[in-house]
Amino acid sequence: MSEILLIVAGLFLPLFPLSMVFNGLFNRLGNRSLRIALLLVWPQIGLAIAYSVGIEIPIWIICWALLTAILYGFRALVLREVSLWASFMATSVWAVLWLAIGVNDASLSELVFFALGISVPVVLLLLLSGELETRFGAAYTGLYNGLAQALPRLCWLIVVVVLAIIATPLFPAFSALMTAMLNIADDSFVLALMLAVAWFIWGWAGARLIQGLLIGSDSKVSAADMSAGRAWSYVAVLAVLIISGVSMLGGLA
Amino acid sequence: MEQLVILLLTLPLLAGLVNQLFSKTLGYGAAKLSVSAAVVTFGVALLLLAKIFSSDDTAQVALMDGWGILLADPLSSLMAVLITGISLIVRIYSVRYMVEEAGYGRFFMLLDFMTASLLLMVTSGDLITLVVAWHFVGVVLYFLLGFDTKSPVASRYALWTLITYRIGDMALVLAAVLLYHAFGTWSLAEIFAEITANPGQHHYFGMAVEEAVGLLLALAAFARSAQLFLHTWLPYTMDGPSPVSALMHAGIVNAGGFLINRFAPIFVQTESVMHLLFAMGLVTAIIGSVLMLTQNDIKKALGYSTMGQMGFMIMECGVGAFSLAIYHLIAHGLFKGTLFLGAGSVINEARQHDGVPKQDLYTFVVERRTAKRRQPWLVMAGITLAVPIIILFMAHWLVAQDFFQKQGAIVLLFFGWITGAQLLFNTYRMDVQNVWRLVGMIIFSFALVILGYVLISHAFDVFLYPDPAFRTEIYSAAHIDVFWFDVLVVLTTAIIVAGWVFTYYSDTNRLKVGERFNHLWISFYALVSREFYLSDLYAWLTRALLKASARLNVLLRWR
Repeated sequence: MSEILLIVAGLFLPLFPLSMVFNGLFNRLGNRSLRIALLLVWPQIGLAIAYSVGIEIPIWIICWALLTAILYGFRALVLREVSLWASFMATSVWAVLWLAIGVNDASLSELVFFALGISVPVVLLLLLSGELETRFGAAYTGLYNGLAQALPRLCWLIVVVVLAIIATPLFPAFSALMTAMLNIADDSFVLALMLAVAWFIWGWAGARLIQGLLIGSDSKVSAADMSAGRAWSYVAVLAVLIISGVSMLGGLA
Repeated sequence: MEQLVILLLTLPLLAGLVNQLFSKTLGYGAAKLSVSAAVVTFGVALLLLAKIFSSDDTAQVALMDGWGILLADPLSSLMAVLITGISLIVRIYSVRYMVEEAGYGRFFMLLDFMTASLLLMVTSGDLITLVVAWHFVGVVLYFLLGFDTKSPVASRYALWTLITYRIGDMALVLAAVLLYHAFGTWSLAEIFAEITANPGQHHYFGMAVEEAVGLLLALAAFARSAQLFLHTWLPYTMDGPSPVSALMHAGIVNAGGFLINRFAPIFVQTESVMHLLFAMGLVTAIIGSVLMLTQNDIKKALGYSTMGQMGFMIMECGVGAFSLAIYHLIAHGLFKGTLFLGAGSVINEARQHDGVPKQDLYTFVVERRTAKRRQPWLVMAGITLAVPIIILFMAHWLVAQDFFQKQGAIVLLFFGWITGAQLLFNTYRMDVQNVWRLVGMIIFSFALVILGYVLISHAFDVFLYPDPAFRTEIYSAAHIDVFWFDVLVVLTTAIIVAGWVFTYYSDTNRLKVGERFNHLWISFYALVSREFYLSDLYAWLTRALLKASARLNVLLRWR
């Protein structure tokens, strides 16, 4: 019974191919607010189910989660649509939550905190992709090169948000990664290595997205940059994320 | 001392933040702010070094509970002086060099963050802080290399660098996690104390933790210091601004040597890792130097030269000469930084003048014009072989009489001898007015270099590793079976002497030998000029992976 419940949880803490449900749903939802709600709520349901089972997560699920993380990170490498990239990366990074369940008797509230720390940067990217869509009608890499010169403020935010998603140190996703790494390194070096590989791929995917949007010769973009006030609101959220990430790192010590 | 360490990190960080937040208001003042902060930081680093040098004391300060530990010890203070010194010079150089570039303030902000990350890395007293700082160095370098956002080429090679660095990051994170599992603490001081007191107590899947961690740390060092197979980013990152190249080659790429020194208490407990360091360093040094010789682009040649030097640095660690590696990285940092900062002027000069010096050295080395009248070869051969070894023995005997009991020292001595002999061997047929004067000058210079090198490296040894027993332990960890050591020395000598004989023979019978080996030589040259096809292989592999990713997405309908 408990294993069936865990598989049900795998729908929400996406395990491939169950993960296709989330990504299909995410693509179908045209409304940005609904997409944001989905990003924030979906993994929490999975966590609640997995936590309620109350057993140690079997190694085959850990393996499955890691393969899912690698698969979605790998598939995100070539994605050009920013919102799709965000949903694939969310799928990939959420898989790490499976590895954090059960570590050091982590409470559900701690796990919720972890999940939020991973989801919020993805939400921010979705909002920033909305800014691009407002200005250009679409948020695609390679569609309008060299945004860095035309919209420096918006681009700076995109860069930092992408860094937060790909588990750069000090952001919560990195703390979650380290927690997961500590949890599985005891069981198997191969699993720890798989997690490290997933982290490596996230970095690659993130750098490719940044390059596709920001780099290039003179852009013919004439749109206005994001207002300073609006930018500061993003900076405030990012600052909170960093503070959370640092406090989570402290929890490891 | 604690306040000095905190100040050391805070100054560049604050300068970076102010530059980021007020870049528009500051305008060109960003450079002034950055340079001023760099001057003060350099002063603080010097003060810290002087304090540690005079008191023989170390200090650590914890900013967080259980992590965020900053360390003020001989290694961190020495590295801090190097980092702050080079970054100060780079900043001063950049004030005018970058003035016409868009994003002037952003450039200085990135330099400030890079300095802060490097300083955090060298002062890290725990594994979490080290991992964070190590990773940040890679991230900031990515943005510095891709500073020109209009250049897809610069951005492409910045990505190569990031990816290679990420491989090293993975290894370091895994090493950190294994150490935490074994010792239950992130603190480096506590881990090292435990390892020194009870070596070989912890195992990980049948392997001693020290061995497993040593291997992972070696991989992290290889990625950061451009060792073979992880080197392809280094010569290609020349599209970034020259000051960044200088900073990268003079400071950042040396991190491998620093990492090995920082974890010296772990490396002395390993069995095979030191040999791996030696082998990898040696191969990288040879291949880097060979590739450097075939480049016609000055900056790319400098890039491969750095690869070769990094090979030497890792090799020095592999023979147990840890502190020599630190001396090497400082010396290399200073001369390579100078070369990069001067490269632009040289290129500019070369566009106006052919730059061919009408000197004996040029006509001899490039045009291969040798002297018509030669000195007796037996006398010259005697000088060639005997003089360097006498100088080396004398210099080493001055600092330590038991020097020759250490295999690592013998290896370094051997390399020194080969270098000196090679120099004399190459120049005795030069067409100069007074050949004895030339030989005398060479011997004098060689003696000066060796004496300086030996004395300074000995001073570094005593400063960085004050405990003589630990110094002996490092050399012992690099030992191999005496029989195999002797076999390797004899074999290497035979290969080198055979090379000399072959060179002499092919010079005197140029036509016959040349014809016989011409096609082999051309094939080898083609291979080297394509850089052993490694970059092509990686590019092909990347394309294949991206193609596979795209196919997978189509197959799964983007879900």
